[in-house]
Amino acid sequence: MLGSSQCSCWLQKPKHLSRLSRIQLPKYGVSEGNKRKQPVNAGLASRTASRSRTRSPIFSGDFNRPSAVGTVANTATANRTVYSSVYSIFKDNKPDTLFQKVVVLVKAHDRAVLDSYEFFATMAAKELGITMGKVFEPPKDIERLTLLKSVHIYKKHRVQYEMRTHYRSIELLHVTGCTAQVYLEYIQRNLPEGVAMEVTKTTMEKIPDHILEPMWKDHPIDDKSSK
Amino acid sequence: MASFGSKVFLSLGRTNVSGVGFRKTGNRATYATALTVNSSTNKARGGKGSTGRRPKRGPGEPRTEKMALDQDWTSVYPAATPFRANAIPLPLRMGYPVKRGIPPEKKGNLELIKIPNFLHLTPAAIRKHCEALKPFCTEWPSALDTDTKCDEHFPVKIQSTDYVSAGPSIRNPSARVVHMKVRLSCLNLDDHAQKKMLKLVGDRYCKDSDILTITTESCPLRQQNYDHAMYLLTVLYHESWKIEPWEAEKTRADMEEYSWEDSTSQKNILDTLLRINLAGEGEEAEVREQLLGREEVLEYKDSVETLKNEEPSERNMLRYKEAVRKVLKV
Repeated sequence: MLGSSQCSCWLQKPKHLSRLSRIQLPKYGVSEGNKRKQPVNAGLASRTASRSRTRSPIFSGDFNRPSAVGTVANTATANRTVYSSVYSIFKDNKPDTLFQKVVVLVKAHDRAVLDSYEFFATMAAKELGITMGKVFEPPKDIERLTLLKSVHIYKKHRVQYEMRTHYRSIELLHVTGCTAQVYLEYIQRNLPEGVAMEVTKTTMEKIPDHILEPMWKDHPIDDKSSK
Repeated sequence: MASFGSKVFLSLGRTNVSGVGFRKTGNRATYATALTVNSSTNKARGGKGSTGRRPKRGPGEPRTEKMALDQDWTSVYPAATPFRANAIPLPLRMGYPVKRGIPPEKKGNLELIKIPNFLHLTPAAIRKHCEALKPFCTEWPSALDTDTKCDEHFPVKIQSTDYVSAGPSIRNPSARVVHMKVRLSCLNLDDHAQKKMLKLVGDRYCKDSDILTITTESCPLRQQNYDHAMYLLTVLYHESWKIEPWEAEKTRADMEEYSWEDSTSQKNILDTLLRINLAGEGEEAEVREQLLGREEVLEYKDSVETLKNEEPSERNMLRYKEAVRKVLKV
């Protein structure tokens, strides 16, 4: 599987390619109809180099150009590269992780920004077909400081500052690993300035094979000391 | 209107300067100042200023006038961009009003530029994005629709947190903490193994919910902490099945629950009953056995056990009182 499966936050992934872990991008762009083989990784780099203007990795409205998703069959002509929007989505045979609960907690200094973000996140979840649990607003935190107003002496004159942190919590239930990755990456790329996020994931797993039966069942007692 | 050679740096809150070759530097600064280059540079060039330079065009009408009502907004604002007053056809006002006034208009309004806007995430845009993302999502297996079914098939729960924030570093040291929760009833443990497991685990077990929680944060990476938690679970499981030779020395004080058989309470009650001659005649051993079989004695045993094992409550004390009364026939 390309990319590291452990870091689920897209920021920790290598910068030059955002890889969705269950989706394999082939090392060399092979798809039926495209004879000219181009290495995808090199292809992306050459693509960005050959284009005159730099393309931001954020969703820039070109939904037919999967710069961050899928592969694109690259038919290169003499000096220009022309894209054909042929998708090739490869699926792994490894079992998908199952998240019983994914809780997204967003923190910001502005309540209005969080309202809009909540609308965006809930609508995105609905469109992608993710069941939502509670969406609520934990009470805000206010951190206050009292400092001296003057640089020197005047102890009786102080000035007070406060920092308000507003929260919003969105709970998603019964999400698969692929869907969670797609949704979280989408959400995080569109996180506004000055907003922080904490994602708590609860994965479900089976009991590992080596715990199903005790080792000493056939040889119960040891006369030697343990450890 | 067009004014020759006037350059405006910070074009916020400036008024239009009109007049050919004649410059007013009376820019009214409401929220921000503007500067104009004065005409001395132009005059220094002599006659060239009037013939060589093309007349500079003014800003013209804002783009909002040319926007159709049914335009595709997702192409006007495809990505997160700051607020552009002449590209948004809404009559917005924002800011604290000056005395006896209204909030300032959107043109040149710094407040509107500062706040993050969601103009690139209108419902139409979200729908388009999700349409493109749909092929990469997978469906939840339909057989696992309730929580109980999930718990039955997948009893081990791993919980971890990711953090996204802006700052000098994108790493957060709390991201490596892993909590692992298992129900002990799902593990294959017999009686002795269960008791030993509880003793080994101590505080990490919650009696009410029957969940064992193992929290690991000693390793630097999350994967390592997960492996460590799994290793701990494995070790606990296998160790609790082991029967050590010194476990045979378990005394009454080590027992987890109070059992009435062979306890001082049993001895006391039997002695008392024999003393006051409530029992029938016969050999001592037989009499004791007979007493144990009696109903009042059994009830007394139950009440003592509930008193010791459960939390002492009004009801338990009353029950004990009734049992004692019946046994001693008072």
